[in-house]
Amino acid sequence: MARQQGWLALILALAIAAGALVLNYPPPLGLDLQGGSQLTLQVLPNGSIKSVQKEQLEAVKEVLDRRINGLGVSESTLQTVGDDQLVLQLPGEQDPSRAAKVLGTTALLEFRAQKPGTEQEMQGLLKLKRQAQAVLNQRQAQASANAAGEPQAPKATIAAADLSQALTGLGIQVPAGSSETDQLELLLATVNSKIVTLFEPAQLTGKDLVSAGRQQQQTGTGWDVTLAFNREGGEQFAKLTQGIAGTGRLLGIVLDNRPISEASVGPEFKAAGITGGSASITGNFSSEEARDLEVQLRGGSLPLPVKVIEQRTIGATLGSENVRRSLVAALSGLALVAVFMVVVYRLPGLVSVVALSLYALYNLALYSLVPVTLTLPGIAGFILSIGMAVDANVLIFERVKEELRSGNSLIRSIDTGFSLAFSSILDGHITGLISCVALFALGTGLVKGFAVTLALGLVLSLFTALTCTRTLLRLLMSYPALRRSTYFLPATQLPASSGSPA
Amino acid sequence: MTASSAPAGSPLPAPRFRISRHRRTAWLGSGLACLLSVIGLVLSWVNPQIHSPLRPGLDFTGGTQIQIERQCEPGACKAITGSAIQESLAQLSLPVEVGQKAPSLSSVGVQVLDQGRSLVLRLPDLDPDQTQAVVQTIGAMAGPLNPKGTSVDTIGPTLGSQLLKGSVLSLLVSFALIAAYITFRYDRIFAFLALFALAHDVLITCGLFAWLGLFLGVEVDSLFAVSLITVAGYSTTDTVVVFDRIREQKAVLAALPLVDQVDVAVDATLTRSLYTSLTTLLPLLGLIFFGGASLFWFAIALTTGIAVGSWSSIGVAPTLLPLLARR
Repeated sequence: MARQQGWLALILALAIAAGALVLNYPPPLGLDLQGGSQLTLQVLPNGSIKSVQKEQLEAVKEVLDRRINGLGVSESTLQTVGDDQLVLQLPGEQDPSRAAKVLGTTALLEFRAQKPGTEQEMQGLLKLKRQAQAVLNQRQAQASANAAGEPQAPKATIAAADLSQALTGLGIQVPAGSSETDQLELLLATVNSKIVTLFEPAQLTGKDLVSAGRQQQQTGTGWDVTLAFNREGGEQFAKLTQGIAGTGRLLGIVLDNRPISEASVGPEFKAAGITGGSASITGNFSSEEARDLEVQLRGGSLPLPVKVIEQRTIGATLGSENVRRSLVAALSGLALVAVFMVVVYRLPGLVSVVALSLYALYNLALYSLVPVTLTLPGIAGFILSIGMAVDANVLIFERVKEELRSGNSLIRSIDTGFSLAFSSILDGHITGLISCVALFALGTGLVKGFAVTLALGLVLSLFTALTCTRTLLRLLMSYPALRRSTYFLPATQLPASSGSPA
Repeated sequence: MTASSAPAGSPLPAPRFRISRHRRTAWLGSGLACLLSVIGLVLSWVNPQIHSPLRPGLDFTGGTQIQIERQCEPGACKAITGSAIQESLAQLSLPVEVGQKAPSLSSVGVQVLDQGRSLVLRLPDLDPDQTQAVVQTIGAMAGPLNPKGTSVDTIGPTLGSQLLKGSVLSLLVSFALIAAYITFRYDRIFAFLALFALAHDVLITCGLFAWLGLFLGVEVDSLFAVSLITVAGYSTTDTVVVFDRIREQKAVLAALPLVDQVDVAVDATLTRSLYTSLTTLLPLLGLIFFGGASLFWFAIALTTGIAVGSWSSIGVAPTLLPLLARR
């Protein structure tokens, strides 16, 4: 009896602790329940690196963490998944396109000197680039004006003959049926990649930056990105500019293999180069572009390129709708099971309903404790584990009934019922747990959530079925008034000899 | 209650229900269901539109799905047709990274749901920027939209095949582990039969979804794989409970032929098997009726699997045991 009381005390203490825990620290809700965006980024092997290692994944994560902080997205989380993936969660974010852009680019900034003897070619290319850029900008402005309902006459145009001549001059195969805009973009891309080849390999990269900022241009509406180098970077920059000062060769600023700015260095820097360890990129950025570049440069370049391979965005109202629906589903399921148990098993059925309620409470507390982020499949796993928990009770009570039918006394029947049902219950739970382990080890995000809640449910249900139900039933049996076989089984099913209280 | 009809020398009553008398019917029923399932899977395989045993969903094929909610009362929304949306999307030029090709939007799947209030688009794999462009285009056509009611799912093609591989692998691994556990706890014949019953349940569940895919366009996703693994776990549990009973009775009923031992065990566990399935099906009913669209087919798959699972643990696995054990 003392042992029973010990168990009862433990069960009650756990229930109170669990209740307090759930009220104070409700389990975190997944994005599918609270709304928000989730991006999965794949780290790609590059160059000499054939497969992504743990350290490289961590290095990528560090850079991305700094960029996220720079973006100022609140409550975002970034986690590594598997060997080469990162999952970024942005609660409440409806449009993750900007985050995807800022995180997804490598942001390798390079300062390169122009190769000697390429001045002529460079000038031609730059002219072509300016022309193409101007026409494209014009078209874009026109398109957005058209969309706003103010059609404008095109101003800058490029003659079809000029365009095709420029294209063939660069040896570009134009895909059949492509529009003029497509052709212009193709031209621009080719010109840009040609320009990059005219520069020497990088002598100075974004690694040597200590900070980056932005400022509005004094003339015009564009923004510049300002850079500050560390000591070595400053010296390198001075040496680099000294080498080309006054020669007519240009200093190329290349971001991710794309030339973003070409600057000439005047002869006055012939003596010592540009000193002072700072520079600015005049790329005619928009305010947002400048800010994003600043964030990327501050965070450093990615050691390996990444690619967004999965995006899931869920609106906040859809999330709360999901919460409401799964709550209704879980509660109605529980209620149906409770009615069934009481009708079929009478007194022990009632006990099992109490045990099941405790089971649900402990489960929620475990979610807060671990913590398990609740997702829609996770809730499905929980609802399903209720079925498993009930199964244990059904197995036990059926055994108790059998023992009663064969004429055993009540207390004896209960004890035998529990001990005989144990091996089936254990086998069932272990096979269930085996499935969970397989799901968890090999599944992905959503599947893992299901596996975790089902596994926790299975472990808990072993405890509640074998301990809570048993302790509560034993406690009730200590009251002689409740010790009636008819509270367990209809009198017609009892052997004639033992219809009276045992 | 029927102590008088108990076989001489046995403390257990004779079974009220003898499964061995119905075994031919049971085998016929299961055989037919399996045959129908295989036909469904094959039909789905040869169907040029599906070209796989089950219609694969976004999770496995990769692509983008956008669900949009319009700001209007159901029924009072400005009429919009799927083909109008398809046309305007076909003309949309998507923003692209330098040197990359924009995916073609010429064959976008559009579903208009909820009396025109929500739209579901099926597109090729888009990046977040392009997704935003699509949403804006729809907003210009069918606006105003409710930004809090929009959901976007994009699965890259590599991730899709990765998810498929992971699902199949976890299915096979969990089968193998369960078989190993039963072999360890019982013996090889039991393990074989449990696996046989499990394959039977999984086959019939897949068969149902092959037919659903053919006629209603229902797709299978990673949640479907989850439901198959769960069904596998349940099915084994059910079968094991019956086998556990057979083993437990062996000493007491050694004098009886195995067929009768099986009958006694099935009869003794019958109530439990039915009740357990019922108590698991009740919460699933909750999910089916109130769980919403995202969990509906998941709950249907589980319901089917669990119902078939308790059938196979009563009618298939135990009745096959005497046949195998004789050899």
